[in-house]
Amino acid sequence: MACNDEKDGNDPRAALHTRRWVLFQMLAVASAGWGCGRLRKPEQKVVDLQIGSDGDFLAFKPTMLTCPAGALVHLTFHHRGKIISARHNWVLTYPGKLDALVKDALDKDGVLAPGDPLVIAATPLCDKGQTVTIQFVAPKPGDYPFVCSTHPEDMQGVLHVTK
Amino acid sequence: MKLRKIQAAVAMAGIALLAALPALAQLKSPDDVKNSLKLLVMVSNDFKRQITNKNFNRVPHENMEYQEAADGLRSAIKDEPANFKSKAETRLKVAVAAYQKVSDMSSTTPDADKLMAEHAKAVKDMDALFDLFPADLRPDPNTPPPSHGAPKN
Repeated sequence: MACNDEKDGNDPRAALHTRRWVLFQMLAVASAGWGCGRLRKPEQKVVDLQIGSDGDFLAFKPTMLTCPAGALVHLTFHHRGKIISARHNWVLTYPGKLDALVKDALDKDGVLAPGDPLVIAATPLCDKGQTVTIQFVAPKPGDYPFVCSTHPEDMQGVLHVTK
Repeated sequence: MKLRKIQAAVAMAGIALLAALPALAQLKSPDDVKNSLKLLVMVSNDFKRQITNKNFNRVPHENMEYQEAADGLRSAIKDEPANFKSKAETRLKVAVAAYQKVSDMSSTTPDADKLMAEHAKAVKDMDALFDLFPADLRPDPNTPPPSHGAPKN
């Protein structure tokens, strides 16, 4: 091949140089794109949310939470009960899916399957006095209902996701 | 002389009235008592809802919670005078037995009408217990549940 190159009047060193230059340019463009992408991506907010049961009563306290869309949410749920041994959790669903989730939870006696398509995020069930923490990325802006899967008709609230 | 007799009678009536005041005014743990009474009503309402919705298999679960709420009340009045405690525990025992009966019937006689009738009797027994406590600690069973705040579908 080298002979043919010489025969065609091409300088093999120049060709090698060109190939290296093209490779360098490709790497440079790729690196620049990666770097610019990181710079352009807005810094993800981290939000801590606290919620619990209203003592032994079948209600959340507070019933309304707020966070910005795309934020990394650290949610802590505390079972504040002292008398009744009912277990509670915190389950977030999509706007318009509250009734479906309530029915699902009632049908399954409060035990929702992992990967349930109605569920955006959920804490494990916990006993009185226990605290659990989960993290998830806040979905797009909107009002997202949440329930306790073992008391879905009583324990309800809303996660208000802002822009 | 007559005036003195009247004064004495009024004084005696006053003393008797004070003695008859419910022990509530001097309850050691009024907040705990109030919470326990509220829990009993809450669970009783859950009984009713499960029966209405014909979720008879959930009734024993409600009964378990009723017994826990009853234990909460026992704990809340443990330091009260023996006379009051004895009366309250006696009436509580009757109420707990009445709800137990509803629970037992839910598996043997899953008939909503019969269960509702038995539940109504249990509520009367619970009301008799509540009569022992001051009015400001008694929950209103007719109070609607708090707003949940969840949006409508």
